[in-house]
Amino acid sequence: MSHPSALRIFLKTIVARGYPRFVSTHRNRAWVFTETLLPLIGTIAMIYVYRALHAPARYLGFVVLGGVLLAFWQNVVYSMATQFFWDRGAGNLELFAMAPTSLAAILLGMAIGGAWVSLTRAITILLVASVLFGVGYSAAGLLPALGVFVLTISALYCLGMLLASLFLFFQREAWNLADAMQEPIYFVSGFYFPVRSLGAVVAGLGSLVPLTLGLDAIRQLVLPGTPQFIPIGWEILAIVVQIVLYAVLSQLSLRYMERQARQDARLILRST
Amino acid sequence: MSAALLQWRGFKAATGLGWQISSNWTSPLIFLLYSVLRPLSAAFILVVMYRVISGGAPGTGAYLAFLVSGVAFWSFVQYGFAGLANGMAEDRGEYRMLKYVYTSPAHFYSYLLGRGLAQLASALASATIVLVVATIALRLPIDPIRVNYPLLLAGSFLALLAVIGMAMAYGMLLLQARDSHGYGDIGAGVLYVISGAIFPISVLPGVLAAIGSLLPLVYWMEIIRRSLLGSNAIRMFPTLSDGDVLLRLVVTTAATLIVAHLVFSWADRSARRRGLIDMESNW
Repeated sequence: MSHPSALRIFLKTIVARGYPRFVSTHRNRAWVFTETLLPLIGTIAMIYVYRALHAPARYLGFVVLGGVLLAFWQNVVYSMATQFFWDRGAGNLELFAMAPTSLAAILLGMAIGGAWVSLTRAITILLVASVLFGVGYSAAGLLPALGVFVLTISALYCLGMLLASLFLFFQREAWNLADAMQEPIYFVSGFYFPVRSLGAVVAGLGSLVPLTLGLDAIRQLVLPGTPQFIPIGWEILAIVVQIVLYAVLSQLSLRYMERQARQDARLILRST
Repeated sequence: MSAALLQWRGFKAATGLGWQISSNWTSPLIFLLYSVLRPLSAAFILVVMYRVISGGAPGTGAYLAFLVSGVAFWSFVQYGFAGLANGMAEDRGEYRMLKYVYTSPAHFYSYLLGRGLAQLASALASATIVLVVATIALRLPIDPIRVNYPLLLAGSFLALLAVIGMAMAYGMLLLQARDSHGYGDIGAGVLYVISGAIFPISVLPGVLAAIGSLLPLVYWMEIIRRSLLGSNAIRMFPTLSDGDVLLRLVVTTAATLIVAHLVFSWADRSARRRGLIDMESNW
């Protein structure tokens, strides 16, 4: 009997793990509602803050674009970083570990499926918020912004894979830590204001999250007049470096954490 | 054992249980950090947004105080409303113990009140630290000696009653769904927008502003700012006296509690009829 090649198994695993995420785009209506409404409500609240301050119109655009990428961040935190925690609770993690495939392929499938789900939510947020509040964008910058967006999301999900391996060690605190990663990241990444306002040190630290640089670059491209943190070329280069760095780190970390988790019998530990 | 003592014991046990569920996943220090990290970051987001627009012009303390006080006290709504509503779904789906609570001698209201009180205890630490840190760091015009404590305490007591009442009714409604995870936060998010927590409700479209003015939370926010800031407070209702605002808070709280009780009773009957109290929700 011939065995499928390792590459075929790897690719089939990606498809198999990504499939539930693709299907959940429309099948789980409760999640469609929460994943779209939660970032949208936050976005609308911040738009009204700027309106109350009589801010120039482009600031509303800052907030809308922040809300769009916020949907991706929430997906990375709740559906990537904490996913192995949930899988362990549901008894799936031990099945993953026994299956003749790698956890890296499972994570990659999860990332691709998750990015698709977030994209559908993000488009809704972009359209609803832009139409409701009359936000306009520079047409000339849309195509390059799309390119930066793809790079940013790639780097973000590589970071998500790294976080997923780290969260493998958490118990009940996983959910609380994921919660605690919300507002502080919105702050240091400049989701609702130009990140330059934070100064070089804080914004520099915030740049460890790929969204910070990606969001700044996209704003510079589609919202002329955005205060520049660093030139776009440097931001794109840094995001490409982050893709490679986080991808490599996530694989190293995953291997180490998986070995440790086997030794400590944490793969089958029920924590809920 | 007297009926009152029975309810008290149920309430006390629920408060202890709620506190343990909220906090015993980590050490007290980490829990404290966790409790203040989110509201503190939320406050600083608003501060930076304001500074970006105002350019750090002098005399900005009053508006910053408006923003910070709203965010700090919003912890009570976030924990009390979203925390309790989510907690009811967790008790059923994750811990699978809602049916045991429901069939115990203590009234279900006593249990939920206790569960809600535990959430508010977390919020108290969070709100206090955010206010203290922001007042010092941003030099806000809040003087602890001049704070109108009776007004603040009376307003907060009424508003928190309303918050717990709304959360009970909303949480019971959420039990009608198989998967309601995150809906507690959506409810709190909607209230955040229409309650004048971070901007005056006059900025909202007419319908939303009208809905907001029917809620006790908007008058609570006004009372918080007036009691903390005195004459420095930016007022959402400049034509109303402190007494008028408090009266409106009393009326809207009473109305909210009546509506919440009706909704809760209906949702409770429906949940019993449809066998939802012990439903397996595949958490």
